[in-house]
Amino acid sequence: MTQQEVPPGLIGARVRRKEDPRLLTGRAQFVDDVVLPGMLEAAVLRSPHPHARILSIDVSAALELPGVFAVLTGEDVRAACATPQPVVWRMIPDQRMTDQYALAVDKVRYVGQAVAVVAAVDRYVAEDALGLVEVEYEVLQPVVTLDDALAEGAPLLYEEWPDNVSCRQTIPKGDAAAAFAEADVVVTETLSYGRQMGTPLETRGAVMSWDPFTDQLEGWMSTQSPNLTRDLLGEVLGLPVDHIRVRTPHVGGGFGNKFDFYGEEVLAALLSKRTGRPVKVIEDRLESFVANAHSREQRIEVSVAAKSDGTIIGMRGTVWAVLGGQLATVGIGPCWLSMALMAGPYDIPNVEATVVGVVTNRSPYGSYRGWGQPKANFAHERIIDKLAHELGMPPNEVRRRNLIASDKFPYPSQVFFYDSGNYAECLDMAEQAVADRGWAKRRDAAAEEGRSLGIGYSFHIEISALGPSKIMNQAGLQHSSFDEEVVRIDSAGGVTVRTGLSAMGQGIETALAQVAAQTLGVPLDTVKVLHGDTETNPFTGYGTGASRGAALGGGALLRASTRLRDKVLRIAAHILEASAEDLEITDGVVTVKGTPGGPSVTMRQIGDAAYRRLDGKLPDGEDPTLEERDVLDPDNVAFSYGTTAVLAEVDRETGRVELLDYLLAHDCGTVINPMIVDGQIHGGATQGIGGALFEEIVYSPEGQPLTTTFMDYLIPTASEIPTFETLHMATTADHIPGGFKGMGEAGTIGAASAITAAIENAVPDLDLRLNRLPVTPPRLLDALTTATPKDPS
Amino acid sequence: MKPAPFDHVRASTLDHAVETLVAEDGDAKVLAGGQSLVPLLAMRLAQPTTLVDLGGLRELDYIRDDGTHLEIGAMTRSRAVEKSRLVGEALPLLPAALRHVGHVTIRNRGTLGGSVAHADPAAEAPSVLRALDAEIIATGPGGRRTIAAADFFQGFLVSALEPEEILTAIRIPKQAAGSVVAVEEFTRRHGDFALVAVLGAARLDPAGEIAEVRLSVAGAANTPLRADAAEDLLVGQAPTPDVVAAAATAVAEATDPGGDIHAPAEYRRHLAAVLTRRCLHRLFTHAERSAAA
Repeated sequence: MTQQEVPPGLIGARVRRKEDPRLLTGRAQFVDDVVLPGMLEAAVLRSPHPHARILSIDVSAALELPGVFAVLTGEDVRAACATPQPVVWRMIPDQRMTDQYALAVDKVRYVGQAVAVVAAVDRYVAEDALGLVEVEYEVLQPVVTLDDALAEGAPLLYEEWPDNVSCRQTIPKGDAAAAFAEADVVVTETLSYGRQMGTPLETRGAVMSWDPFTDQLEGWMSTQSPNLTRDLLGEVLGLPVDHIRVRTPHVGGGFGNKFDFYGEEVLAALLSKRTGRPVKVIEDRLESFVANAHSREQRIEVSVAAKSDGTIIGMRGTVWAVLGGQLATVGIGPCWLSMALMAGPYDIPNVEATVVGVVTNRSPYGSYRGWGQPKANFAHERIIDKLAHELGMPPNEVRRRNLIASDKFPYPSQVFFYDSGNYAECLDMAEQAVADRGWAKRRDAAAEEGRSLGIGYSFHIEISALGPSKIMNQAGLQHSSFDEEVVRIDSAGGVTVRTGLSAMGQGIETALAQVAAQTLGVPLDTVKVLHGDTETNPFTGYGTGASRGAALGGGALLRASTRLRDKVLRIAAHILEASAEDLEITDGVVTVKGTPGGPSVTMRQIGDAAYRRLDGKLPDGEDPTLEERDVLDPDNVAFSYGTTAVLAEVDRETGRVELLDYLLAHDCGTVINPMIVDGQIHGGATQGIGGALFEEIVYSPEGQPLTTTFMDYLIPTASEIPTFETLHMATTADHIPGGFKGMGEAGTIGAASAITAAIENAVPDLDLRLNRLPVTPPRLLDALTTATPKDPS
Repeated sequence: MKPAPFDHVRASTLDHAVETLVAEDGDAKVLAGGQSLVPLLAMRLAQPTTLVDLGGLRELDYIRDDGTHLEIGAMTRSRAVEKSRLVGEALPLLPAALRHVGHVTIRNRGTLGGSVAHADPAAEAPSVLRALDAEIIATGPGGRRTIAAADFFQGFLVSALEPEEILTAIRIPKQAAGSVVAVEEFTRRHGDFALVAVLGAARLDPAGEIAEVRLSVAGAANTPLRADAAEDLLVGQAPTPDVVAAAATAVAEATDPGGDIHAPAEYRRHLAAVLTRRCLHRLFTHAERSAAA
């Protein structure tokens, strides 16, 4: 490994975010702020049944309601679309596709599936009209749970399939059977990860305007993936992409939900085409709980084979993916990744992991921050804890014995090459921080008072900087994953960066500005970052997800800015009659190195020389203007990693868990802005805490969703989260310019594993094994009541 | 989440409000602070033809001391009740309980009368009324009537109010001097509805025996409960751990909780016992301290 050294400066500086004054004063524009002349508003009629055949739909009464302009049904949509809703991740070539349209055509397969859509003068009238659409259903027996779906003779969601299994794939490494045969000890666990979802403050929405004379479709959408959306709109609507313009105002939280491509955008476009007016569709919160991608729910069977000294020689696992009634944009993607990363940070020579995708009458399973990795982490960390318990070793000793050594990178896992890391150092860092904070003393002092405190750890890896496009294509991605960035210096020396990435609160404007400002040698406030328009901004493959924005956008921009800086120096050298190699740029002023107070040229003068008064200033052979673009299609993904440590208190009478302290030792290569990284990690950890202790999408045995408001779907608030501490180390990605790695999902990944470990640690007298998330008070009380007391010997 | 069409009538007087209710013949809803009704409207779970808005009725916004009781107008905001010195001195259990209602912004809008009229068994205010033997004053076409809290709460979101009646005030006997209060509430998150809450008030006599105790339980049945049996076990006794444990058991036995996605019924019953024990522990520790002072 070669460590990339970035000189100290704006890259690495804890500077305030450029976007925050706009966001915090309410001056940022979101999709719902877009109001166009003549605009209509749409509302979607959703299925009340988990599984039913649509016998007939009568929209005549709805059409007669004053203020209603159009009503569409599934048949209309199918006739108007060139293809069903696309699935872009096709890792398993023989996977059975569900091929659904934006509105249900023959059957509904989950409560909330869109059945009809109304465009009216406003949302009130549109919702009134929904009540007038008459749908006749033949109710079918629902398939609500994984076990229901796999049962002998289960009703089929897709009658042309032999069963409810959409796909199955096993990826082996080495010889797992041999490893299990020669192991000293084998431990096995079955884990259940609850169904959860990202819940951005801004729900999804779109304003679509179809010009009936030119067939130009202009859309404002709250999306993380503007270029992908544009391409998919083109495929589905049968339009050339140059007819489609996707604009993304500020995105009010993405969390992966808004990576996916949903039917509502298509519906708004078709309604606009039908009515000749712009159409706005904004998902309300009630809808979002059924119409937004669900995530996380899996059953995972995992076993490890180990030597008596704790060395793991083999791992086996099966991920049972509880998919919904149809495939979402990312298909089996997140669940496949749970399978592909099940060995996590450990050097396990023999692995055999399987993923099985099973359809149920639940909402579709799509993207959510972490994308399969929190479940993989729960599998490898829970089984490490169990192995440690079995062997009577401290869990971190088992971790240390098995973590991939720093000299083994690039490390070939089951599927990926892990690029770089110093895992053991990261674990040491966290343990040292826990010792420095005196957690063990707090735990022991509390025990004297009869209170139950515990310390838990987890180690996580995070795939980021996705990724090499051709390899991703080979893995089944129906899109690219490079990133293009453009940087321009204007005629007055100001810098404009154009990006295809979406600004969704993560701080991308600031991070990119820091990279450009440091590379060009200009003050941060002279750099403007433009985003959110496919017509004028560059192309980002994939989207603003997979923890790729800072790493790939930053890397591409670093290279473009470096070339632009070279041009600036050539012009300055000409003006100063000096050699470019002797020049430096500081705070936007070019000087000859080592001559303070000597001749200088400002960036403003350089801009003037390149755009306006060229004569005598722009060197011969140099093109006017100052602009560079760069495309970064990396050779590999980049793996970040971290250790989470949690101090928790368990109320043994009620099963309540309180998190008293929380820290993460983390490595994402070169850090562009530690404040942004801390914020990302804290936010992710909060969602991880939600998944560990609070959040669960619950269905009734009849298939009705029971958690459709924030009264019932419990996201942790400021009152429920501890103070977070983040410690940084930097092992750079040597294949990414600047050495950046992504970290947008980090906090979500290791949270549940560390929290469950802390809970178990808090009751050392009990043989408590937690294998189901979230750990709610009633569940924990039940587990505490039924756990066997440990043998005091 | 847009309400179905309705007429909005901003009542100019109490009589106007009652007349409108009569005219709408049961299809109207009374709007107070809107903290429960507005979400129901938005989800179209409530679709009244008319909303009778009491927001302009200043005469329903008051806290009055008549010597033996405090009378609180129905439109008094929860936060105003919570912060009232008069209430704090005469009815310390009420602000102690209201502090658990949602968040400050909710208490700024929500009214005491609205919360009581909504009759949610998991809400705090109804349980306070049960514990303190309050009276609810309702005004209808036939004039005013007074309903004992024990008779007012009849089921889940069901009260003794007639469709043409408006809850106009709440009358609560002042707590005896020397009363200490404690509220033990278990929620999944800060500000959520209680899974179970136990509200208590007590006095010890100079001999250290329990002179008076009042206990009520929210979230453990389809109405707020008064724990009479437990109170009977406690009064006249020294607050020993055994006595407290017996009372906790009695409270749990008196509950009839439902189960939902947040907790099964057995868990709620268990919580009622745990929270009663904790509530009584706090009460008697405080009472001993105040007696010693």
